[in-house]
Formats: sequence, structure tokens, C-alpha cells
Amino acid sequence: MNQVVEIGAGHLAAAYLLLAFPLAIMLWYRIPMIGETVVSVVRMTLQLIFVGLYLQVVFRLNNLWLNAAWLLVMVTVADISIVRSCSLKLSRIALPLSGALLAGTAVPLMLFVGLILRRDNLLDAQYAIPIGGMILGNCLRADIVGVRTFYESIRTGEKAFLQSLAQGALLHEATRPYAQKACQAALAPTVASMTTIGLVSLPGMMTGVILGGASPAIAIKYQIAIMISIFSGTAITLAMGLWLTSKTSFTPYGPLDRSIFRTA
Amino acid sequence: MDRPDTLEIRDVTVRLNGQTILQDFSLGLEAGRKALLTGPSGCGKSTVLRCLLGFVVPQAGSIHIAGQTLTAESVWKLRRRIAYVGQEPDLGAGIVRGILERPFHYHANTALRGNLARVPELFDAFGLARGLLDKEVGDLSGGEKQRVALVSALLLDRDIFLLDEVTSALDPASKRKVIECFRLRTEATILFVAHDAESYPFADLIVEMQGGAA
Repeated sequence: MNQVVEIGAGHLAAAYLLLAFPLAIMLWYRIPMIGETVVSVVRMTLQLIFVGLYLQVVFRLNNLWLNAAWLLVMVTVADISIVRSCSLKLSRIALPLSGALLAGTAVPLMLFVGLILRRDNLLDAQYAIPIGGMILGNCLRADIVGVRTFYESIRTGEKAFLQSLAQGALLHEATRPYAQKACQAALAPTVASMTTIGLVSLPGMMTGVILGGASPAIAIKYQIAIMISIFSGTAITLAMGLWLTSKTSFTPYGPLDRSIFRTA
Repeated sequence: MDRPDTLEIRDVTVRLNGQTILQDFSLGLEAGRKALLTGPSGCGKSTVLRCLLGFVVPQAGSIHIAGQTLTAESVWKLRRRIAYVGQEPDLGAGIVRGILERPFHYHANTALRGNLARVPELFDAFGLARGLLDKEVGDLSGGEKQRVALVSALLLDRDIFLLDEVTSALDPASKRKVIECFRLRTEATILFVAHDAESYPFADLIVEMQGGAA
């Protein structure tokens, strides 16, 4: 197989020409998103340039502590993003949720790098950072859906929730139907994507491995392993996230503590 | 000799969102007695019931149930003695049979599961057609929902009932049946919230509330 093709700065600039299509469509339909789109493209470019430069250093040094620190930064950013997206208060939810994100990312990552790829250094930058990022990115998406569904459905269905408590339910018994609903909503997209993977589109990791010069036969093995890792990571993060955040989100008497929400 | 109070509320004050809902409110009810809380809307009647369930925690005063002070630790055990039916009960989603079975999945009620055999008898007593058991809760009328909630409460065999305007959506005949059913529960301690005191002539105590006080 061929090695990966280098993209020169001039050729990369050509990619931006493709933006003419969405921008033209926005102009044609008068969609008020042009400013927002330009800002997001600029942000994407700057963020990726920064991350690319930083990762060059991280990959060159391949220092265990530096790699771990980078993964922790990624977890922290994901944590803040989830709490904000769910309209919850950082001070109440961020800490327990970070524990869940850390566990949901670390467990499948360690198994992937140690057991499947058989690397001695579990935090080898070449593997731990991209694979950790893929798992974490999916945990983030699942947690936004799951955590939001859980707390919003209890808030909107408070009467039924309180009725369960009045009937003698313990907190975990009263919250179970809401946790079921949240897990279903959060895990369904991953289950659906596993069902259609390869038929509708070539997934990210498989594409990356092929572009890196490996054969499709190797690429599908990576893809199968990452899909299972992502699925188990999202399930771990979600279950732990609901469990750990529950400790600080309900009053000692059982009702939902509404002060966890940023808006009343 | 007087029987000890099963329900006792001592000098309770509740403030919510800067508004005083209850101010030094006290109430004592001996075991087996029936009391009626009445008064204009917004005077704090429902808040009294919510305090007894631990859903609202008073800023001052104390609550005692069967001689035990209601605290964050004791509330979980004390709720097992109480059956509560709120105004416009939200039964959740699913068919009626599932709704009636649900509380028996809770650890506190598993031993009472045999009580489900009393469903047909209670449906008959409240004038509910047995065919409703397989109906979706969302398809029930307000009056049917209230009576299903009451059946669910009775199945739990509690000795304290907190009933918040539970006949508000019922026709006069159904209302009489429901009130009669609870009147005959001589061992049960019952706190009714209602606007029409004349429907509860058997009440041992009638508390007329006004602006958060008795």
C-alpha cells in the first residue's frame, strides 16, 4: 500500500474553496448563519493548527506523564462541555461527571492499547491520544443526550417521580425508569451506527488507517475494535455519570434538587 | 387515656421562593382519626401533605409520624406507612395493570404483592370497569385516573392516608363511593384535603386554614 500523501499549504487552501457551496446556499436561502459559519471555520482551523503543533511535540517526546496530562485536559474540556450543554451547574455536576468520563475513557482505552494492540506502554501517544479522543468524543455525545434526558424527564415528570417515592421507592428505584429512558436515548445512535457501518459510509478510523497506507483488511479490524470500545465506553460513562451525579442532584429526602439547573 | 398522635406537626414554617406558605402551623392526629384540611386555594393545604412526605422541608418546626421525627434518614422508612394520592395524579406511562403492579417491584412492597388479587374487588367498589386494566393510562378520563390512583394507594395496605382533593374530578355517585370507602377504614389515620367540608361529616377534626395558618 502507498504511504500517506502529504498535503501542501497551497493544496489545503483549495479545500476552503469547497466552502463556496454551503455559503452560496445560505445566501440563496437567506439563512442567517453566515457569520456563525465563518467564525466556526476560523475556530476549527486555529484549534486544529494549535492541536497539531502541540501533538507534534507530545508525539515526539512521548512522555507518559505528558500524555496522561493531555488526556486529562481532553476529559476536562468534555466534562465542561457536557455540563453546559445540559444547562446544569458546573459546581454541582462537573466533578462527579469527570470521574465517569475518566472511567468510561480509560477502561476501554487501556484494553484496546494493552490487550488488542499489545503495546507495553498503555499511554503511548501514537495510540492513546487518537483512540482516547475517539472514545471520549463519543462519550461526550452520549452523555449530553443521556444526562440531559435523565434530569429533564425527572423535572418535567416530577409528579410521577414523587409518587414513586411516596409509594416507598428508594431513590435508585424511583429514578430507574428515567435512567432507562436516558440510556436508551444515548446508546441508540451508537447501536444504529453499528448496524449500518460500512454500508452507508466508511467510518473515521477505518478511513484513517486506509489513508495511512494500511490494507482494508487491517483497517476493518481496527474499526471493529474501536466500535466496541466506543460502545462500552459510552455505556460505562453514562451509567457511572447518572449514578455519580445522582449523589449530588437529589435532596437527602429524595426529590430532585432544582438548584442543579442553571435556569429555573 | 389518649392514644398517641400518629401524625404530629409542630410549629412548622415553610417559605418557598421568598413567600411564606405555612407559618407556625401545628396539627396532631391520633391513630385511627380522620381530619379534614380545608380553606381557600393557595392557603398551604397541599404543602402540609408534602411536608409529611418529606417533599418539602420546613425552615422551622418539626414533624413526627408514629412517634418518630421525620428526618432525611427516617423519611425512607416512614413513607412505607403512608399512602398518598395527589391532586390530578400523574400515574406515569403504560397500561393500568402495569401501573398498579409497579409499586410492588419496590423492595419496600415486595411482600405485599399478593394484594394485587384485590384489584377486581376495589375496581367494583369504585365503579371502575375491569376492562380498564388493559387500557393505556393516557386514555383514561380525569375521574378514572383519580380512582385508579386510589386503588393503587389502597393496595399498599398503609395505616396512614394523605388524600389531596382526590374526588375533585368525580361525579357525585363515585365521590360518595370513594368517601364511604375511606370512612369505613376505622383503623386508618386519614388526612383529607378538600373544599367541601359537608362531604366529610365523619371527620374527627376539621382544620380551616387561612394564609398558611390554622
